[in-house]
Amino acid sequence: MGHPNAPRWRLPRGAAPALALVPATAITFVCFYLFIGWTFAISLTGSRLLPSWDFVGLEQYRRLFASTRWWVAMENLVVYGGLFVGGCILLGYLLAILIDRGVRAEGVFRTVFMLPLSMSFIVTGIIWQWMLNPGLGIQQAVRGLGWEEFAFNWLVRADRSIYTVAIAGIWQQVGLSMALFLAGLRGIDPNIWKATRVDGIPTWRVYWDIITPMLRATFFTTTILLFSLAVKSFDLVVALTGGGPGFSSDLPARFVMEHILTRQELGLGAAGAFMMLCTIAAAVAPYLYLQIRQGRNA
Amino acid sequence: MHWLTSGGESAALEVVRDAFTARGGDWRDAPVPGGSAARSAAINRILGGKPPGVFLFSLGSQLDELAGEELVAPVPGDVAEWESALPPIIAKASRHDGRFVAAPMNIHGENWMFYNAAVLRNAGVEVPRTWPEFLAAAERLKAMGKIPIALGGQPWQERILFNAVLLGIGGRDFYTRIYGQLDREAMRSETMLEIFRTVAKLRDHVDEGSPGRRWNQATSMLMRGEAAFQFMGDWAKGDITAAGFQPGEEIGCAFAPAEELAYIMVVDAWAFTRSRDPAVDAGQRLFVEVAMDKQVQAELNRRKGSIPVRADIPVEGFDPCSRHAMEVIRDPATHLVSTGLFGLPGGVSGAIDDAISHFWNDRRLTPEEGQALFESTVLAFN
Repeated sequence: MGHPNAPRWRLPRGAAPALALVPATAITFVCFYLFIGWTFAISLTGSRLLPSWDFVGLEQYRRLFASTRWWVAMENLVVYGGLFVGGCILLGYLLAILIDRGVRAEGVFRTVFMLPLSMSFIVTGIIWQWMLNPGLGIQQAVRGLGWEEFAFNWLVRADRSIYTVAIAGIWQQVGLSMALFLAGLRGIDPNIWKATRVDGIPTWRVYWDIITPMLRATFFTTTILLFSLAVKSFDLVVALTGGGPGFSSDLPARFVMEHILTRQELGLGAAGAFMMLCTIAAAVAPYLYLQIRQGRNA
Repeated sequence: MHWLTSGGESAALEVVRDAFTARGGDWRDAPVPGGSAARSAAINRILGGKPPGVFLFSLGSQLDELAGEELVAPVPGDVAEWESALPPIIAKASRHDGRFVAAPMNIHGENWMFYNAAVLRNAGVEVPRTWPEFLAAAERLKAMGKIPIALGGQPWQERILFNAVLLGIGGRDFYTRIYGQLDREAMRSETMLEIFRTVAKLRDHVDEGSPGRRWNQATSMLMRGEAAFQFMGDWAKGDITAAGFQPGEEIGCAFAPAEELAYIMVVDAWAFTRSRDPAVDAGQRLFVEVAMDKQVQAELNRRKGSIPVRADIPVEGFDPCSRHAMEVIRDPATHLVSTGLFGLPGGVSGAIDDAISHFWNDRRLTPEEGQALFESTVLAFN
C-alpha cells in the first residue's frame, strides 16, 4: 500500500485505471455477455413469434440439427470461409508485396485495391449479381463477342453458387488484407534487406524464409478479422444469391436472421446463433491459445 | 396500416377508404411497401405501445399467435352472419378460440395457369388438361423456340408451380394430407414420387434466367409472347389489365392441369388491436361494417383481381377468370388453402418452400432424393 505519510483517502495503487475501465467493462458485459446469455436462454424455450419462457430443454437444438438446410449452411460456411480467408490472405499478401517492391504510382494502385472496401456488401452483391447473371453479364458479353457456347452460369447453379459468393467477398475484402500486410512489410527493418543482398539470397527466398515468418502477428490479426467477417457474412449472400438457388448458398447468419425475422422461429434462430458462437470459439480458441503461450515464452 | 401500394392494389383500397370516410370515419393511412415488412412493422408498433387501430395481415399461425398473446382483439361488432357468408375453411382460419380475430378482405387463387393464346394457337396446341398433356405441349413449344414456362425464380413462386403439380396429380385429399396433416405416409407414397418425377421434367422447360426473377417480369414475358405459360396467383391479372390486355382473351386463364377441380386460396385479412379510446373503438366497428359491405366487397375485388370472401355476391361485372372462380367455389369440396393457412408454424411453411426450391434448382437431385429431402426438411421443424 501507499506511503505512510500519504493522506488516507488516496485510492490504492492501480485502482484509478481499474475505475476508468469500469464503464467499458460494464458496456461490454451488458452488450455482449448479457445478450449472449439471453440468446442462450431463449434457445432453450419454445419461443416462436414473441419471446416466451416455456423451457423445452434442448428441443430447439434437436430441430436445428434435424434440418437439412442448417447443415448445408454450415458446409457452405466451411467452403466460403476457407476460400474467403485463404483467398484474401494470399491475394492481399501478393498485392502488398508487389506494391512494396516500389511500383510507380503506388498511390493509384492502393486506391484501386482499397476502393471496393468502401462499398457496402449489398452494393457489391448487386454488382456481382448483374455481372454473373447469365442473361445480362459476363456470359452474355462473351457470347456477344462470338463464343456462342461460352457458359459461366455459376450464379444459377446450385453446385457452384457458393463459389460466386466467395469471389465477390474476396474482391471486396482483399484491399483490407493488402493494407494490413503493406503496413507489416513497411515495418520491417531495411537492414534485413541489405544483409540478404550482401549474402546474395534470391528475393523470393527472403520473402519465404525471413519476411513471412516475421509477419506472423499480421497474419494472425488478418486471419481473425477475416474469419469473423466470414462467419457473420449475411448481406453479401442476401444481395448476391438470396441464399439460392434453393438454399444452396445459404450461410448460418442468413439462416438465423430469416428464422427470427420472417419465420417466427425465435427459439430456433437463437439456437442457430448460439451454434455460430460455438463455431467461432472452436476455431479461434486453439489459435488464441497458441498465441498466448508464445507470448509468454517470448 | 397495410401494404397495398401497387397501382391496382391502391385503387382497390380506395374503395374501402372512400366508403369509410363517406360514413364519417377518420382514416389515417400508414402504408408500408412489402407484405412481410408491413406485418413486422405492425407487430413492432403493437409491442411498442402505439398500435394501429386496424391493420392488414395474413391469416395463419402468426395471427394466431398474436391472438393467443391477446395482442389483437376479437373483431368488434356483429359477426353472426359471417358464419354463413364465408367459406367454412376461411371462417375456421379467421378464428382463434372460437372467436373471429380477423375480417377477411379478399380471396386470391394460387393455382391459376395463364397462357398466351396466340402462342398456343401458332404452335397448334390446346390448353392442356393433364400434366402429361402439358409436357407434350411444352415439347412442341420448345421446338418452336418459345419458353414453355415463364417462371419467377423465388421460392414462393417455385412452390406455386410445385403445388400445381401436387394438386394435379395427387388430387384434393392428397393435397390436404400433405399440407394439412403433414402425413408422413403420403410424403413417402408412390404418388408423391410421381409428382417429383413430373416436376423434375418441368425443369427443362424453364429458361436459364429464371433464378431471382420477379413474378411480374415473368408475366410480361408471357404478354410479349416469349413464353407460353405462367403458373401464378390471380394478382397477375392486375398487371395483365394494366398492360392493356383483357384477362381471359389474349392472355387466357385456366386452372392448372388437374383431374379434380379445386381452388387454392390465399386470404388477406384485417386485424384489430385493443384500445381504450372510444373513438378508435367506434372507428373499428365502422370499419368492419364497411369492409364486409356487399358493394364494397364487389368493387374492391373487381379492382384487385381477386374474388369476394362473401359467397352471396353476384358474379356480374367480374372478369371471366373471376367469374369462373366464383362458380367453382360454390362447391365447398373445391376449397383448399395455401400452405401458410393450414395453421402450420412459420418454420414449417418456410421449410416447405425451402425443400421445393432446393429440389427445383439443384438438378443433381433425383426425384427419389427430392422426395426424401422434402420429408426430412419439412418434418424436421415439426
